[in-house]
Parts: sequence; structure tokens; C-alpha cells
Amino acid sequence: MTMIELTNLTKIYDTGELKVTGLDDISFKCDEGEMVSIMGHSGSGKSTMMNIIGCLDRPTSGTYHLDGVDVASLNDDQLAKIRNAKLGFVFQSYNLLPKISAQQNVALPLIYSGENHRQQRSMAALEAVGIAVRAKHLPSEMSGGEKQRVAIARALINNPKVILADEPTGNLDTATSHSIMSLFTELHKKGITIVIVTHEEDIASYTQRTIYVRDGKIIEEKKR
Amino acid sequence: MSIWESLRTAWQSIFANKLRSSLTMLGIVIGVCAVVLLVALGQGFQTSMTKTFNDMGASALYISSAPSKTVVGGIRPLTNEDVTALQDKNLVPAVSVVSPTRTNRGTASYGNNNASESLMGIMPVITKIRNYKMDQGRFLTDQDVTNRANVVVLGWQAEIDLFGAQAPGTTSPIGTYIRISGMKFQVVGTCQKFGGFAGDSYILMPLTTMQSKITGGDVVQQIGILASKPDQVDTAIAQVTAVLRARHFIRTVAGAADDFSITDMRETLNSMEATLAAFSLFMGAVGAISLIVGGIGIMNIMLVSVTERTREIGIRKAIGARRRDILIQFLIEAAALSLTGGLIGLGLAVGVAHAMGQITLGQTQVTPEISYSIVFIALGVSIGTGLLSGTYPAFRAGGLDPIESLRHE
Ligand SMILES: Nc1ncnc2c1ncn2[C@@H]1O[C@H](COP(=O)(O)OP(=O)(O)OP(=O)(O)O)[C@@H](O)[C@H]1O
Ligand SMILES: [Mg+2]
Repeated sequence: MTMIELTNLTKIYDTGELKVTGLDDISFKCDEGEMVSIMGHSGSGKSTMMNIIGCLDRPTSGTYHLDGVDVASLNDDQLAKIRNAKLGFVFQSYNLLPKISAQQNVALPLIYSGENHRQQRSMAALEAVGIAVRAKHLPSEMSGGEKQRVAIARALINNPKVILADEPTGNLDTATSHSIMSLFTELHKKGITIVIVTHEEDIASYTQRTIYVRDGKIIEEKKR
Repeated sequence: MSIWESLRTAWQSIFANKLRSSLTMLGIVIGVCAVVLLVALGQGFQTSMTKTFNDMGASALYISSAPSKTVVGGIRPLTNEDVTALQDKNLVPAVSVVSPTRTNRGTASYGNNNASESLMGIMPVITKIRNYKMDQGRFLTDQDVTNRANVVVLGWQAEIDLFGAQAPGTTSPIGTYIRISGMKFQVVGTCQKFGGFAGDSYILMPLTTMQSKITGGDVVQQIGILASKPDQVDTAIAQVTAVLRARHFIRTVAGAADDFSITDMRETLNSMEATLAAFSLFMGAVGAISLIVGGIGIMNIMLVSVTERTREIGIRKAIGARRRDILIQFLIEAAALSLTGGLIGLGLAVGVAHAMGQITLGQTQVTPEISYSIVFIALGVSIGTGLLSGTYPAFRAGGLDPIESLRHE
């Protein structure tokens, strides 16, 4: 079943005097349970694509169906709900809140979904990514790899259907990058759909399929 | 996101920036403290004034002779016969108490102590108008009046003037004799302090004694009367006026002025209350200004906070916070900040009021009164100030674009 489907999708940033094309008539499909990577030069439109897939941004034209739902028909509150329940984000710069503990960071999405048992569930998520011992630590007291694991735990907490990771290993050394990728592979085996943006071929090699983007267009697709 | 979660989040952020939060609160702390203290003082002042007035007989009407120059053809002074006429229930049914007095300044002495006091000839019925509280001994009786007895009751200050400030339990002045105008008077009672502007330098004796032995004549200076019912005051004034005009041969045609005046203390009381109300309004305005300043401080800090936490807002939105969740979070943060300031200000005000205890304003003893209504109003106003000044920053925060916020450094 198709999880993500972009059809003739265009994104134009209007910065006043000049219009920048972020995505140029892109069509892309990703099945449920697939693990896909997106590669391309800097400025090619990878993040733009991820933001639209992540319901953080709306396309200028074209359609986007997520899990069979036309996202254009949803209002901002409904998009927030989708981000909360169906999607999990992992960023290059971790994006943890600096003043609360790892566990509180992981529990944050549960606050917005009104979930109970936040303590147990956030602890379980930390255990799942192998970082339960750091539960009480502040982000500033953890290494990059540890922070990224906390961020992944946060992305997982609401049992999302899709995980979107924009250069999740961009700030990590090679060894740590590979352990993070093994973690994604594990999640993939559990049936979660995963889309990863990366600049490195050996990171992309963890995925089943890689698409190459240039100037807002998909120029190549490679299956493994 | 539940209100409880919003509150927790607000607390986390207030505590995370302790210094900044405290400085922000300062305006509200000072504003609320000032308002509460000023209002408490105002209420204390009012209570004290009202009590003094009631002790003095504010509900009574006082009849006295008009100043001599105002009346053509001379003045007939008020006399015992006027008093007798006013006591006639058939003539003045609306009057229930008639209390004539004759006051004279005089010197009283005991041993080597001399003191100038206000000597008052009174009838025992005066206690229905003025609230004399006995310290020792007894008040004057009808028997004393009939006998024209040489007996006196001393005011609080008069007792001190003559007998010195004694420790309680030492020799009592009751039964001893003091001298007034060369005559001996036995002290039968002493009164407790009135305080305030009522004054305590007085010596009471029977009106008959006063008239026959000190002033001579049958003139009374002032007649205090009480209306039989509160709504009968105007009727009482009309009836008294009619009786006295007839007795003083003032023609009933227009233009002939009374040769006496009737003072209604209610007017004084009303004007005093109006003054107090204006005073309270002024104090309220002062407090309001400091609260506005405090509110602007909160708005300022909240705006800074929104900019500083743009990335946090972006993160929260990315993981599912709706516009309204962010908005409420910032609103509650502003309200919590302001309410905390209000609570601290209130606590300070209570502490200061307690430390002040009873203070003397002019001649009036004032105890600040912090009532529940001030407390609720102060807290309500501080929450309101927070919400009001938090509204604009909160809308800014809620409306931020998630992607741009995430990109924010
Ligand atoms: N908010 C924006 N306003 C204007 N132009 C933008 C905006 N965001 C992105 N762009 C432009 O759109 C194009 C694609 O940007 P995007 O961030 O998607 O690139 P990227 O592939 O993620 O690059 P990188 O590998 O450096 O992260 C770029 O030319 C960029 O300048
Ligand atoms: Mg990018």
C-alpha cells in the first residue's frame, strides 16, 4: 500500500523580488514499510521535500497524499495532529529542548496527544533506543550520538507510521553514524516507513532505494 | 494539551530563567503591594473614623443657639424649659432622647495637680447618644441630678492630668475629692479612652449641679436629640423647629430666621465618606499606574522570550503542538508570572501591615485592614494584567511558521 505519494508537486519560495524554485514538478511514491533515502547536492531541494512530506509546509502546486489522505484538504490543526500521531521527525541538529531532561523531551509529543502513562512510555522508548541510563540527563550533558538516540526515541513515542530523518548522521562520526543507521534498520524491520536524507553513499546503502535530486527534480533512482 | 500541562510547562520556563522572571515580576510585586497597603490603610482609617463618630453620637442631632450676629432682634438662649418642652411626647413624637448639656472650661485640682478641663453638665440619658465606657466606678445617675450632688466622672485624660498615669491596680481615684471652683467634688467614676478627635479631657457632672453651683442660670448650651426611628430624622427636625420657634416667639412668616441651629452629624459623616472615597480612588489610580507599568514589563519580557524561544516553538509545532497549544502556553506563562508577582506583593503587603500594627495618622489610630475582597481583587487583577500583557506575545508565538522557527538560530 502506498504511504507517501507526491504528484507533480512544485514548491516556489517567494522572497519578494525573486522567486526560488525549491521543488520542480516532482512525483514520488513510497510504499508502507519501505526505507528510502534522498541524496543530492546542497540546495537541491531535499529539505524542502522533507518539509512537505512532514506536513510542516504546503506545496505551491501538485498534490500530496499521506496514507491515502489528501493533505491539502486538512487545516493547520489537523496537520498538527498528523505530525503528532503519524509522523516522527529526526533532525541533523537533534532539536531537543535544552532545559528539560532526555526523558521529558521524549515525553513531549505525548503532552500534545493527551496521552497518559507518559513516564513509563517515555522510559520504554528510551530503552528501545538503548539510552535509558541517560533518562535524567539534560541534552547539554550528552554526546551527539546520545542526543540523536533521544531524538529518535521522541520520534517513536507515538508509534508513528513514518519516520522522516533529515541528515540524521550529519553531525556524527562514522562509527556513531553506523550505529544510528542500524537503529533505523531495526525500526524498518518492525514495519515503519522511513525516509532519510543524506549526503553519504554508505549511509544511503542501508536503505532499499535511493532517489537523487538536483535543482528540485528527481534525476535518478537506484534500487538495492 | 491540558491546562495542568500548560501550567507545568510555564513553571519550568519561569524557573529556568529565575533572574529574568524575578525582575519581570518586580513591577507587579510593587504594584500589588502598594495597592493592597493603600487600600488596607484606607479601610482601617474609615473603620477608625466611623467608630469614633459612632462613639461620639453621630446618629444624634444637636441643637444649639445660633451665633448672635445672625439673628435680628436678639437671641433667646436654650433653657431648661425648652428641654422640658422637647421631652413632651405630644409635641415632638418623633424624638425619643433629649440630652441637654452645659459645657464650661474650668480648672480642676487634686493635691498639687492643676488641670484645665472641659467641664460638662449632663443628664444620664446622654449615654444613649454617646458611648461612655466606664473604666472604674459608676456613671452619673438621676439621683445625682435630683440632689444636685457634687459628684464627677473623669475622662481618660482628665484622670491622668489629676492623678497621674498610674499602674493598674494601684490606688483608685474613686471616692477621692477633687476641687473645682473652690468646691469639693467626689469622683464616682472614670471613663475609658475615646481616642481620635473625640478628646478625653473632660469632667462630667450633673447638669443641675453645673447650673446651680458653677454657671448659674437655667441656660443649656446644647441639646442632643435622637429620632425615634432612623427614617424619622427629618420629621424630628421639623417638629423640634416648630416647638422652639413657638417658644422663642419667632413669627411663622417667611424670612424670620431661627435663633437656634440643628446640626445633623450625618452630613458630616457623608462628606467625610465622600472625601475618603475620593482618596481611595486616587490611591487606586496610583496602584493602577504601577500595575500598567508592571504589565508593560511583562509584555516586553514575553516578546523577548518569544523571539528567544522561536526554535523551541518550532520544535513543539513539529511534534504536534497546535497554534492554540503554543498560544495558551505563553498566556499561562504570563499569567503565572504575574500571579506569582501578585502573591509575593500580597505577602509583602500583609507583612508590612502586620509590622506597622497600629499607626497614628493625624489624631486617628489606624490599623490597616486586609480584607478578603482586597486579596481576591489583587490576585484577580494580577492574573488579568498577565493575561492582558501576554496576549500579544502569545499570538505572535502561536502564529510562528514551524519551518522558519526550526531554522531560527
Ligand atoms: N524559506 C526559504 N525561502 C527562500 N528560499 C528557500 C527557503 N528554503 C529553501 N530555499 C531554497 O530552496 C532551495 C532548496 O533548499 P533546501 O533546503 O531544500 O536544500 P537541501 O537540498 O536541503 O540542501 P542542504 O543539503 O544544504 O540541506 C535552495 O535554493 C534554497 O535556497
Ligand atoms: Mg537540507
